[in-house]
Amino acid sequence: MHRNPIKTFWKNPTRRWALLFLGPVTAAFFIGFVWPFIQGIWLSLCKFRLISDAQFIGLDNFTKALEDPTFRHAFWYTALFAVVSLVLINILAFAVAYVLTQGIKGSNIYRTVFFMPNLIGGIVLGYIWSMIFDGILSHYGTSILMETKFGFWGLIILMLWQQIGYMMIIYIAGLQAVPEDMLEAARIDGANRWQTLFRVTIPNVMPSITICTFLSLTNGFKLFDQNMALTAGQPFIIQPDGSAVKTTEMLALNIYNTFYGSSNTSPGVAQAKAVLFFILVAGLGLLQLSYTRKREVQQ
Amino acid sequence: MAEVILKNIKKVYPYVSGEKKKRKKGGEPEKKTNLQITDEGVVAVQKFSLDIADKEFIVLVGPSGCGKSTTLRMVAGLEEISDGELYIDGKLVNDVAPKDRDIAMVFQNYALYPHMTVYDNMAFSLKLKHMPKAEIDRKVREAAEILDITQYLDRKPKALSGGQRQRVAIGRAIVRAPKVMLMDEPLSNLDAKLRNQMRAEIIKLREHINTTFIYVTHDQTEAMTLGDRIVIMRDGYIQQIGTPQEVFNHPANLFVAGFIGMPVMNLFDAKLIREGQHYFVELDGHRVHLSEEKCARLAAKNVESQDVTLGVRPEHIDLAEDGVSARIDVSEMMGSSVHLHLSAGDRDMIVIVPTVDMQGLPHMGDTVCFSFKGNVAHVFSKEDDKNLEF
Repeated sequence: MHRNPIKTFWKNPTRRWALLFLGPVTAAFFIGFVWPFIQGIWLSLCKFRLISDAQFIGLDNFTKALEDPTFRHAFWYTALFAVVSLVLINILAFAVAYVLTQGIKGSNIYRTVFFMPNLIGGIVLGYIWSMIFDGILSHYGTSILMETKFGFWGLIILMLWQQIGYMMIIYIAGLQAVPEDMLEAARIDGANRWQTLFRVTIPNVMPSITICTFLSLTNGFKLFDQNMALTAGQPFIIQPDGSAVKTTEMLALNIYNTFYGSSNTSPGVAQAKAVLFFILVAGLGLLQLSYTRKREVQQ
Repeated sequence: MAEVILKNIKKVYPYVSGEKKKRKKGGEPEKKTNLQITDEGVVAVQKFSLDIADKEFIVLVGPSGCGKSTTLRMVAGLEEISDGELYIDGKLVNDVAPKDRDIAMVFQNYALYPHMTVYDNMAFSLKLKHMPKAEIDRKVREAAEILDITQYLDRKPKALSGGQRQRVAIGRAIVRAPKVMLMDEPLSNLDAKLRNQMRAEIIKLREHINTTFIYVTHDQTEAMTLGDRIVIMRDGYIQQIGTPQEVFNHPANLFVAGFIGMPVMNLFDAKLIREGQHYFVELDGHRVHLSEEKCARLAAKNVESQDVTLGVRPEHIDLAEDGVSARIDVSEMMGSSVHLHLSAGDRDMIVIVPTVDMQGLPHMGDTVCFSFKGNVAHVFSKEDDKNLEF
């Protein structure tokens, strides 16, 4: 007997009610994410001050963005920062998690203490650390704003302080999921502590490593408030053409500064930079995910 | 291949700091087992002494929490020995690391490395010893051949069934040709059919690898079929050590009598009567003369007439014209035999009757009479549950 597929579809009560329950979330997702995202891409191809006066100008904004020395500097500076912070955050967070899962006394207190910096906002943290760094550096007659390397390592230290606790929690969860008898089997097989760590434990916490490296990589690239509060991109280098390159300015801050720049083409260029920024972060994130996912194992 | 000697081994799990405080404040802690609790902590194993001969297959058996796995883990070096001495091949190894004891262990949950192939799992310990590649390859393939897992060498453990995983775990242990092979409930995670099959394979495995086995299980069938000798444990103490036949025929106490044998031994309140060098048991006015061997053992111990707990295994009870009368509550047809659940007075009991001897199936509610022979009656003291023959 032939059945009407539409009638059959609506016979199922779950399907009938699905629209009602899915509707609000879907609408919110479209209004809050999909539409602004599409509009952002459209605006990157326009000259505008207000959204209502946008004029299509093709890829001009992208050309300007790529020709901008401050953007190129911010890109390499951000890339270096992201790589260094990715490596240091993950090594230190794993080390802390490893030590705190060895049954030492007071490990719960240490976990809480290490996690607490996460509860402080980035701007507040940036200002507090700028005072700390300046307090120390003033003894040597300098300041965090005086040299690029101070700003770079200052930001690295700040991020380590803030992020290690968070990543540590993820690593602790991963380490606790490694079966105890597998580690015992390794001990009996003749593996010492380091061999057990590198050849048994680490391959079995790959899911945690995937999450943590993804988070620290994208966090590193997207960093904004800490950067703004700690150095705001200073110190400057004056270019031969008279323009200034902020030597500790990262990509997000560069986009922000461009958007609120003086030229009437600035918002469009900032928008183009933001699209390039999105492609970069999403591309790197996906690349990293597929690389580490391949190394994950199922029990 | 090695002798293993355990001398007065003891294991105490000390209190964690909070637990001790709680205990001091609130008196005795909540008791979850019958393990002895002292000021030092919970005593999981004590007075464990056993000499295991070279190439012997020893099975530690007992209910959960009796200390059998703890004992095995102490031999492995995974648990510290609180007191006593452990010798492997004549060498005191109390403080020797597991990797230096020349032992291998098979775990209940296989404990395979999920990120390695079957081949790498088996080769791992040999690689750590920096053995030449060709030799590793030969040993791994040889072990895989014995266990019939050659076709799985390139697979990861997740692509194998439970039985295959356990073979890999055994393979990982035998490639090392260890002095002592330790097995911690290796068949517990398998279904009943596979368990029977693997049990037979472990028996065959002994032909191929000449080593000393210590095997832990809570399954008395595994213990009976695999062990040269069985060590029955309860609450951290050894209850009896003996061959399967010995512990079945001469259980040292009521616990062993109840633990070994399926269905469990029937127990009755009865009287032991001594008449010179002859002993009788009297149950509900029905008197049975004990065998010469039993009489001699009891006489040697100078056991006098007394109230006893009489134990008779279900397969040793005969339905007879004359004897103790009982009513059939349930009749279970098992194929080759029928299990009759009887009530005699206020006692419940089971009798196994081979179907070849039966003329028609017994009916529920029927009254029957049963008896037993003097060589299968076990008499236990009412005071300490010990077999009076010992």
